Amino acid sequence: MLNIKTAASAALIAVLSASPTLAADDDLTALRTEVEKMRQAYEQRINQLEAKLNQLEGNQVQVGATANTPPATSRRRIADNRFNPSIGMILNGQFSQYSQGESEIAGFAVSHEGERGEEGFGIGHSEISLSANVDDKFFASSTVAIVEHEGTTETELEEAYIQTLPGAGLPIGMSVKAGRAFWTLGYLNEHHSHADDFADRPLPYRVFMNHAYNDDGLQVSYLLPTDIYAEIGGGVYRGDDFPYGGNNGSGTGAWSAYARIGGDIGDNQSWRAGAYVLSGEAETSRLSNEDSVGFTGDSDLQIIDLRYIWAPTGNARDREVIVQAEYFQREEDGVYTVFDELSGDVLVTSTVNGKSDDGWYLQSVYKFAPQWRVGARYSQLMSDATPAPLVGTGLDAQGHDPEVLSLMVDWTNSEFSRLRLQFNREDLSGGETDEQAVLQYVMSIGAHGAHKY
Amino acid sequence: MRKIFTTIVAGLLFAVPFTAMAQVNILACEPEWAALAEEIGGPKISTFSATHARQDPHHIRARPSLIAKARRADLIICSGAGLEVGWLPILLQKSGPQVQPNALGHVTASHYVPLLDTGASVDRSMGDVHPEGNPHIHLNPHHILPIAAQITDRLAQLDSANADYYQNRYQDFAQRWQQALAQWEAKAAPLKGTQVVVHHKSFSYLIDWLQLRAIASLEPKPGIPPTSSHLESLLQQLKATPAKLILRTPYEPEAASLWLSSKTNIPALVLPYTIGGVAEAGDLFALYDATLALLLENANVE
Repeated sequence: MLNIKTAASAALIAVLSASPTLAADDDLTALRTEVEKMRQAYEQRINQLEAKLNQLEGNQVQVGATANTPPATSRRRIADNRFNPSIGMILNGQFSQYSQGESEIAGFAVSHEGERGEEGFGIGHSEISLSANVDDKFFASSTVAIVEHEGTTETELEEAYIQTLPGAGLPIGMSVKAGRAFWTLGYLNEHHSHADDFADRPLPYRVFMNHAYNDDGLQVSYLLPTDIYAEIGGGVYRGDDFPYGGNNGSGTGAWSAYARIGGDIGDNQSWRAGAYVLSGEAETSRLSNEDSVGFTGDSDLQIIDLRYIWAPTGNARDREVIVQAEYFQREEDGVYTVFDELSGDVLVTSTVNGKSDDGWYLQSVYKFAPQWRVGARYSQLMSDATPAPLVGTGLDAQGHDPEVLSLMVDWTNSEFSRLRLQFNREDLSGGETDEQAVLQYVMSIGAHGAHKY
Repeated sequence: MRKIFTTIVAGLLFAVPFTAMAQVNILACEPEWAALAEEIGGPKISTFSATHARQDPHHIRARPSLIAKARRADLIICSGAGLEVGWLPILLQKSGPQVQPNALGHVTASHYVPLLDTGASVDRSMGDVHPEGNPHIHLNPHHILPIAAQITDRLAQLDSANADYYQNRYQDFAQRWQQALAQWEAKAAPLKGTQVVVHHKSFSYLIDWLQLRAIASLEPKPGIPPTSSHLESLLQQLKATPAKLILRTPYEPEAASLWLSSKTNIPALVLPYTIGGVAEAGDLFALYDATLALLLENANVE
């Protein structure tokens, strides 16, 4: 409005200054008076209009506040960015300090993501995710992780999948997911690591799944129409992600199946248990240990998991106890090859038949105040007897079972921010123990999905 | 271990019961909606509430049992306005198309009443705010009937054989509710203008209805637990302008209320908030009776 006034005045001034100098003074005065009258009249009109507008705006607010049952469509909803995908970003950084310069998990082929994180400051694992309903039948989501690895910044496509929506016409309770995803396998695998209760993954995840299994593939799940929660599912995968690798492009390299049940105990306790199998073949070569170990052959993984949650006061916001455990068993038939780290020459090959390695962890987290939690975790690996040719190589367990004890305390300011201090006591190769301290932050901006159980 | 696995899978596959359900299965996100559905559906429905009065409905887990209930539900009734945003989407992922939001089998109660606190623009630095508006809508009794009408309408469509039954029960409920409403308003008249301190914005609709005045909140920002510095400043504020009551729900932690109460001698009062919040609050009528009785008894207004 003010702009209009200024513009109007400016125009009038322009008109005035442009008046022919020939005009008599009288004429000029008359003209000025006329123009002044016009200006006043316009200003009055504008003021009136402004007042009217204000009044109308006021009325509108009142109408909104007094209407008893406005139609649903008039509600303002900002749950998501309507037609644009929900965009979210997780920022995860840490400062780590280790007492040992080297960290090797004796007896196991460990790939890059299963290794100990880098010491000092690091931004760990930051993620950007986009997701949205594609239409009435499909949902799509993708997550890109930005990670630092040996001085270079790498982007990893962690997830890029489509999933059927309840309206897709499948039987109720059935859903199909295809693409690349953290597949349903054990408890932690389908969760992004920022949702974990500890700063790092427990030993079995580090050695058996290289942090997480997110191969390309397709998975079907079906929630049974039972009173108790019961779900079954399975999938087929390319067979390129650890514990597989080197798929030559024919058929599927791996498959999985699972079953889960769960329920409540009274008002304030709940639980879920599951059994999972992942079976497949590393067709040409699965490389690990900084590319110094190769494996070709079958690798089968069987997992059972249990999660139990208790809210002692009934209110999980206030106090909560979570107990979680997983047991892994892996059986491998194939050929292990050890290369020279510098020249790449084959040093040793060893055929393994039914090599059976186990691993497990048990953890408990206690929320003792709305923003504070403490937790403890113990994880352990049990390796099979080392085949004779591998004795003396990095795959020689030397009869030692790697174990880690972790303690953590975290502070959750809001649903979107968490600071954590964690201590690990890692005894991975029977040598000196590695004492580790990790200070971590996990923050989330933008869209933030609902939490899985 | 493989044996165990095969046994579990096989066991589950054969354990699927296909019991014909005569009753309409209702999953209510909060106890107040389960109670309201029972007023309309009576014995013809079977209700289950995902939360109870001791739970903060913002923060509950998408428990396996709830996923199973949602999958079998014919009708899901929730407050909406962001209250269940942390867990309901997980339940709906595995349930049928007939109970998805905007479908016949899904009532979002906040769609049918005017909302308070609809912020024009929000930022997460303002705390856990719901840009859609305050979701604790059931504490204004004027909101109950429009939502009851929606539930009746949905039940009548889902179970058309009993449509008249539901309509009649609604008429009866509406009549009793209107009478109770008039009584409550008469009884509560002296409370008008009473200054109160709240823990969170859980009672905004009650305060709006009774024309109380919420002069402070124990949480420095919505969803952020009380801090000692904030409580200290409240103490100073209350010394200058005293309040009559410090209100909280049964699920909100008592420490901050009790501390402030001991320093100021203002009574700290737990209102039932929802069904089962105090022993007497067994249904919606009793919830309001108990709430008003507690307020009148403790507010010291005549």
